[in-house]
Parts: sequence; structure tokens; C-alpha cells
Amino acid sequence: MAATFFGEVVKAPCRAGTEEEEEEEEAERETPEDREVRRQLVRKREVRLLRRQTKTSLEVSLLEKYPCSKFIIAIGNNAVAFLSSFVMNSGIWEEVGCAKLWNEWCRTTDAVSLSPTEAFCVFYHLKSNPSVFLCQCSCYVAEDQQYQWLEKVFGSCPKKNMQVTILTCRHITDYKTSESTCSLPSPFLRALKTQNFKDPACCSLLEQPNIVHDLPAAVLSYCQVWRIPAILYLCYTDVMKLDPITVEAFKPVLSSRSLKCLVKNIPQSTEILKKLMTTNEIQSNIYT
Amino acid sequence: MASRYDRAITVFSPDGHLFQVEYAQEAVKKGSTAVGIRGTDIVVLGVEKKSVAKLQDERTVRKICALDDHVCMAFAGLTADARVVINRARVECQSHKLTVEDPVTVEYITRFIATLKQKYTQSNGRRPFGISALIVGFDDDGIPRLYQTDPSGTYHAWKANAIGRSAKTVREFLEKNYTEDAMADDSEAIKLAIRALLEVAQSGGKNIELAIIRRNQPLKMFSAKEIELQVTEIEKEKEEAEKKKSKKTV
Repeated sequence: MAATFFGEVVKAPCRAGTEEEEEEEEAERETPEDREVRRQLVRKREVRLLRRQTKTSLEVSLLEKYPCSKFIIAIGNNAVAFLSSFVMNSGIWEEVGCAKLWNEWCRTTDAVSLSPTEAFCVFYHLKSNPSVFLCQCSCYVAEDQQYQWLEKVFGSCPKKNMQVTILTCRHITDYKTSESTCSLPSPFLRALKTQNFKDPACCSLLEQPNIVHDLPAAVLSYCQVWRIPAILYLCYTDVMKLDPITVEAFKPVLSSRSLKCLVKNIPQSTEILKKLMTTNEIQSNIYT
Repeated sequence: MASRYDRAITVFSPDGHLFQVEYAQEAVKKGSTAVGIRGTDIVVLGVEKKSVAKLQDERTVRKICALDDHVCMAFAGLTADARVVINRARVECQSHKLTVEDPVTVEYITRFIATLKQKYTQSNGRRPFGISALIVGFDDDGIPRLYQTDPSGTYHAWKANAIGRSAKTVREFLEKNYTEDAMADDSEAIKLAIRALLEVAQSGGKNIELAIIRRNQPLKMFSAKEIELQVTEIEKEKEEAEKKKSKKTV
């Protein structure tokens, strides 16, 4: 036991090995009630992939059901806003399905009846070329749910002839560098790609010792293991909420091979972005 | 490493960081941009207003506040912290006038605010103020001043500076476009402040608030119409400059 600065007592980690024995005893002491609670929790945290029209669960994974040559995934509200304003406004995109999940980060407390408007992970395909898929994921997918998400979306035996592009944001204070963060030109882009991705990246590669976290890391690792060409564009920014400067920092990605053919109306995109900003502004008076 | 040294303000990390102060500087970046410019005969404060909710009274959402007749300040960061600092500064201005029978100098009140902020970086159980301030005004000697303070309690004089979100972009714009000669003209100083804000403002001129102090004159807040006029003039000048450029290349 150790006392901290504030006088609280914390259990110091013990290397004597007696802790393991205690854990085993605890597991034996688990009651049927505990097991039931555990089962309910697992059910609550299940990731469900639903078809658009019928709202029924898909029996197979999304990419096993639909052929896919290009998969663009936006994770986080700025990346989602970028795809909405710059990619989705040129061409007709049809919603194919959505992934519903609940974890402690969700704003709603009801895990059972998440309404369609709260679908956090929506999948679209381009009507003129149905093998081009897009995913808008604006919710947080917890560590224990990432594997389920990957299984339900990619499946256990994915086809290798597709290319995956992931867009996401991270706060600039996570960027490890010998320079001071005040001198960094925030926001800025960095890329990380799998071994099979042969095209050039639209920005510099992510330097060591920086790492990628959460769902983008899970998707990239999955693609590396299954030898799928994939690239992650990571935008380091000092504004994590919806911000037009952060969204526009993704613009170099529009020159990449996977997105070039999908983008047509850039001036219109800035208008759409402005509209998104005004509709999404959460009234908070904490900061002025 | 950071997580073990960032809970108490009075704890230094092994490499000499005071993490709470650095985190307070991050809080400042969450506030909207404020820009300050010191001209020869004028000081200008421009801010990017936060959009007001439909039912909210706009007058109560202010980023530019007068501390005395000849000094005013703009802040970026935590609204409540700013209110406390402004109240203390206002009381100090009047107390100084009553005691010494002279109005405060801009440097004096800036030092007061900075000292107050520093105290909170060295106190047990308190956190630093999460605001940066731009303080402008004219002293009795008629010289215009612009100071900037930050959560650590430092203060410096500037010719032009910006704080809040996208401050770096605005500062770079100011570095490129600020010239002492141009600042001899009051209208150029005003235009520079508006142009700097337009670089980063989310909805253009509608969300800009501007205040100026001229020598021996009280604080003047620009109305929305006046700002619109300035913005239209700036856009005209931009168009003309672009036409000239295209003529040259042809």
C-alpha cells in the first residue's frame, strides 16, 4: 500500500506472486448471478450489422455479401465531415447497412432500442459502381468490440483484391516529436500503410515512435495480416470537435488514386462543409 | 510518464514540465480566435464571435471587455475563468485610481493579471486559469500598448498577436502583413485585424467583433454594419489585386 500526495491509499503492484493465487480463488467464487451479469453485458456490447431496408441482421459479413474493390472508412467526426462534403456530394451513394453497438462512450443509455437515426456506423456504396464502399463511423468502438466489428464487416476470409483507405484524426498532443508542439503546423497529415500498398502516399509517413490507436489501428492491422493493400491518413489537430480547418487538412487525400475519380465538385463541397458546421454546432458556453 | 506528474499543479515532472500549466494552454486553444494590433495612433482588438443560440441574449456573450476607460482586453479560453480575472482587474483599476489618484498604466494592469495567474500555478489544490488575454490601451504618455498574458503568468508586449484557436495561422499572417509604415494609418490597422480574422473565421464577416481605442478617446465597439462595410472594402481590394496580378501574367 502506498500513500499519494493527496493522502489517498493505493494498492501498489506486488511482484511476490501471491496476487495470482488470489485471482484464481476469486474466479472460483463466481456465483451464477455474476455469470448472468457477465452474459448480459456481453449481449449489450454486441456489434450488430443490419441491412438497410429490412433492419435485420446480416448472416454473413458485409464484404462477403457484397463485392468490393475500394473501401473508404472515415472514423471520427472530422473525417466523416470530410467525406460527406468532398466525396459524397459527387455521385449517388446508397445506404447498404449500418453497424449498431453500445459501449460506455455512447450518449444513449438504452442499448436495446437504438433508433435508426442513431446508427453510428453507416455503410454506403456508389450507385454507379457498387463495388466502391464507404463507411462513416462517428462512434467510438471499444477495444473488446473492435474484433467483432472487423469480423462482421470484413469477415474471416477477406478477398485481397480490394484497396482500403482509412481517414481519422488524433489530438496533436499525442504526436511524439523532439520539437515543441507549439511550433508544429497544426493540423497536419501523416500516413501509415500496409506492406501490400504500393501507391505513393499523399503526405509524409508517420514517424516512429508514434503509433495508431483504436479502430483505425485494428483495421490496418487486419489488412496487414491478410495482405490487403491499405493506407491510413491520420490528421493531427488541436481541435477535436467538428472544425472546418481540420476537415480541409484532409484535402491532399483527394489526389490519391482511390479518391481522385470520386471527387467532382470541390467549390460545392466548401458550401456543404459550411452548412455542416452550422447544423452541428453544439451550444457550449464553457469556452469563449 | 505524464500521467504521474500531471495531477497536482505543484509537482514538476523529472524533465521540468508543469503539466497542468501546459494543459491550461490547451484549454486556451479551445476558445475562438482573438487578434490584437498596435498601430501608431490606434490599438485594435478583433475577435471571432461564437455563434449565439437562438434564445440566448447576444449581449451577454462578450469576448472584449473594458477594464477601465483607457484599457480593454480580449480573452480566449474558459469563460468563467475570464469573468473572475476581469472582475479582479476591474477592481484593481479602481483601487489604484483611488489610492494613487492616477489611472493604471497598461503595463501595470497586465502585470497584475499575470501575477494573479502565476499565483495559481504555485498554489496547493488550485488549478491555473485557463485563459490567455490580449490587453490594449493608451498610457498617459500617449503611447499605444498591446500585451499578451498566458496561463503560466508570463506577459509580453507585442506589435501584433493572436490567441485562441488557429492562433498560429493568424500570427503567421500578421508576420507577413504587418508593417510599421502601414500601421501609421488607423484604417489600415483596422483592416489588418479584420483580414487576419477572415483567414480563420468560420462564417466570414458575420462572426467578427471589433473594438478600437484611439489616443485620448474612449473605447469604440464597431457595429455589425460597420464591420460589414470594412469586409466589403477588403473583398474589393482583394479582387482588384487579383485582377492586377492576372493582367501582369498575361
